[in-house]
Amino acid sequence: MIEYKKEELILSVNNVSLAYDDKPILKDINMQVHNVTRPGMTQGQIVAICGRSGCGKTSLFKLLSGYNKPNAGDIKVGVDQHDVKTGEMGVVPQDYPLFNHRTIMSNLSLALTSMKGKEKIDLIKQYAEHFEITDQLDKYPCDLSGGQKQRVSILQQVLAGNKFILLDEPFSGLDTIMKDKVVDLLLKVSNLDEMNTLVVVSHDIESSCAIADTVLVLANKNNEGSTVVKTYDLLDEGLAYHKGIKELPRFREILSEIKGLI
Amino acid sequence: MKKIFSPRFLESVSVRTMLIIGIIQIAIFLFIAQVNGNELLPKPTGILNSSWKIITGPGFLDNFFATLGLILKGMVISITISLAIVYLALIPAFKGIAIFVSKLRFLTYTGLLFVFTILIKDGSDIKISLLLFGIIPYFVTSLLAYIGDIPKKEYELCYSLKFSTWKTLYEVVIKGKLHLVLEVIRQNFAIAWMMITSVEGICMSEGGLGTMMIKSNKYLKMDDVFGVLIVILILGIVFDYLFDVMKVWIFPYTDTTRYNKLWINKILRR
Repeated sequence: MIEYKKEELILSVNNVSLAYDDKPILKDINMQVHNVTRPGMTQGQIVAICGRSGCGKTSLFKLLSGYNKPNAGDIKVGVDQHDVKTGEMGVVPQDYPLFNHRTIMSNLSLALTSMKGKEKIDLIKQYAEHFEITDQLDKYPCDLSGGQKQRVSILQQVLAGNKFILLDEPFSGLDTIMKDKVVDLLLKVSNLDEMNTLVVVSHDIESSCAIADTVLVLANKNNEGSTVVKTYDLLDEGLAYHKGIKELPRFREILSEIKGLI
Repeated sequence: MKKIFSPRFLESVSVRTMLIIGIIQIAIFLFIAQVNGNELLPKPTGILNSSWKIITGPGFLDNFFATLGLILKGMVISITISLAIVYLALIPAFKGIAIFVSKLRFLTYTGLLFVFTILIKDGSDIKISLLLFGIIPYFVTSLLAYIGDIPKKEYELCYSLKFSTWKTLYEVVIKGKLHLVLEVIRQNFAIAWMMITSVEGICMSEGGLGTMMIKSNKYLKMDDVFGVLIVILILGIVFDYLFDVMKVWIFPYTDTTRYNKLWINKILRR
């Protein structure tokens, strides 16, 4: 069994509801994310929010990012649990927007404002190597593939110093090999800093659950708006951080349960 | 053969085929014009002779530069004023000004010519003012449309990178859309080029291609009128091409494949 501790609360969603023109989208969403610590290593957090297409995942994503406000309830972040503000969360949307008029190096440089000169360039190059985008640094976003853009987009958020990074459908449109690469990358990002928290919103249950320590299942029953129908604590289950998690019988069982729930 | 007479969506017709189609169509047009030419609509050979005479004539360069100077001056002032109006439109307190200026495109300057003449005494200044009056509303309208079409996600990206409001304005609206400004300039240059002939008629002593045409019109020298028209058309097409090349050259991200093949780069690399 992996040794871990759940420390302070760093993200909480309390009774959040959202409706557009009286049409309920989300209803009474609740979730809590604690800082997970493991002895002798830096361990971030990964939360997966799973649900079927059109169940309000992106609406929840917009609320978490602070771009939209809920009709009821609140979202609090940080150790001091303050209300989430626009721009406080790092966001990697589905189509990975970048500044198209800037090269990749320039895009990344723009995100890293805390440094200047050679030191800044060296750090970007160092990260670029980790993210396998060194060859793309002098190119423009229009010359990159979807997967490369995604990596740049994630790195941009990391360099901007965002501890909370929300990812909307990071596995969408990727083949199996690319999915595994993204899984590795997300694990790498989450473990860059103790407080790094990734919230992955996805309909790809298997890939998102495979990297998460907490899984929230979102479903819309009776057309009253989607709500969290079940939360899986994969740490408690002893599944999180397992290299071969996808092959474990309990993991397969959980996947079947989730498919039944949504 | 069937291919060129049915709609094409994904497959493109080769440059060679398009060139052949174009040449055939021009040849047919010239033949019809040559056969049916009369006093009012001169024959292509007559127009060609006139165009050649105009280009090689003693006053052509002076007139050409008079027109070009006027148009460039008008464009520079128009761009400066229009950009100021459009960028200020992002501040709610100034948005009304941009909307009002945009609506001015429905006004015709013919009715206001008298007011302009009384208010601005100098002939050259009247020409510039009319050009500004003609260009700015279109320029503002096009730019407002482009800015209105900026996807929300571009602003959201700036928020997530913790940019200030002003930095977001600079990065997304000003720097990020400069290539569109050049595209709007290109379109409006065509409008200005079209307007120039009538504007130049206001103060003919300064010369210009428009003046040349008005004078020929006055004496019913239709060969010369069409000759000047052809010269104006060709110059307009050349400028349009240069603007297009300039856009790719200055802003490579608009078409990196074309940028790498651009003739300017090939010359510079030598």
